[in-house]
Amino acid sequence: MSDINAQISETPAASLGGQGSVADYFALLKPRVMSLVIFTAFVGIIAAPGSIHPWLGFVALLAIAVGAGAAGALNMWYDADIDAVMKRTSKRPVPKGTITPQEALGFGMTLAAGSVLVLGLLVNWLAGALLAFTIFFYIAIYTMWLKRLTPQNIVIGGAAGAFPPMVGWVSVTGSIDLGSIALFLIIFTWTPPHFWALALWKKINADYTNAGVPMLPVVAGADETRRQILIYTLILIPVTLLPALIGTVGLFYTLANVGLGAVFLYYAWRVYRLREGAEAEAACKKLFGFSTLWLFIVFALILAERALGLPLFAPVFG
Amino acid sequence: MTNTPFGPEDMARRKKRAIALALVLGGLVVLFFVTTLVRLGSAVAERSF
Repeated sequence: MSDINAQISETPAASLGGQGSVADYFALLKPRVMSLVIFTAFVGIIAAPGSIHPWLGFVALLAIAVGAGAAGALNMWYDADIDAVMKRTSKRPVPKGTITPQEALGFGMTLAAGSVLVLGLLVNWLAGALLAFTIFFYIAIYTMWLKRLTPQNIVIGGAAGAFPPMVGWVSVTGSIDLGSIALFLIIFTWTPPHFWALALWKKINADYTNAGVPMLPVVAGADETRRQILIYTLILIPVTLLPALIGTVGLFYTLANVGLGAVFLYYAWRVYRLREGAEAEAACKKLFGFSTLWLFIVFALILAERALGLPLFAPVFG
Repeated sequence: MTNTPFGPEDMARRKKRAIALALVLGGLVVLFFVTTLVRLGSAVAERSF
């Protein structure tokens, strides 16, 4: 025992772990990402046909939020080497040294298992299974595999961020319906133009280059990225109108989205046209900022329609 | 047992983490208890002794 005590006392405290504050652990959950997940999952719960007891709706939302946090923590465990190189992420708890990778792994796995069990046991098992798949997809498919392998990383990996409204929807209905797939597709097609607008910023691009992450601007160049942003925006606009065909939304959402889509296209077009200098950089920043707001408004419109009791379209199919 | 690399600040952080963990566990108890009541509904009062 005394040998072990002596060994421990000679080991620097930082390498033993146990240095993280509550705030450090909270940061592991990626609270900003989590807030978007909570919002989109909430819309999934509200938009789903049928009803759920408000308490069970709250439990579902809590489990989805914790599951998203678990994915964030596991991502920070695996990506600590990349995070340490990139300025934007170097202050995260693991590269900073306040939380050891093992602690982040244990924390993430505990929360992942806990959130899936809570959602499965207390709400329904299809929702629990879908949450488990979402966490698996984000960590194994995106973080461990695609992120370091291909410039299409965020195109396919974007699915992980698109699942939360579907999980919310399934919490209510117990089945994967066309309406939930439409909500999924909106976030899925929104992700590439949103993240590539960010990746085009000079300092972010430099970060990815230094870390060896094959983001599209690093591998294929800025011009190709601008072209892809425009193409995905042209796909995104009709995808946004899919819920109208399925009867998930009504005229208010549809008309507002035609206008919002036009503004999105305008900003994407500016990114496409302006290639050099401060104007080009500003265009990327504006598209990134607007696309964040755009997603919030699109989902808020669904909520607003339900809150105001506005009539929904009859489903064309579904 | 006095040989420890952890200083008073480390111990203070540990205490706060322990309190946060206790709150989370307490919250889980409430979560499962209330959900049981909600799921059982009025049947919660029907007990055969």
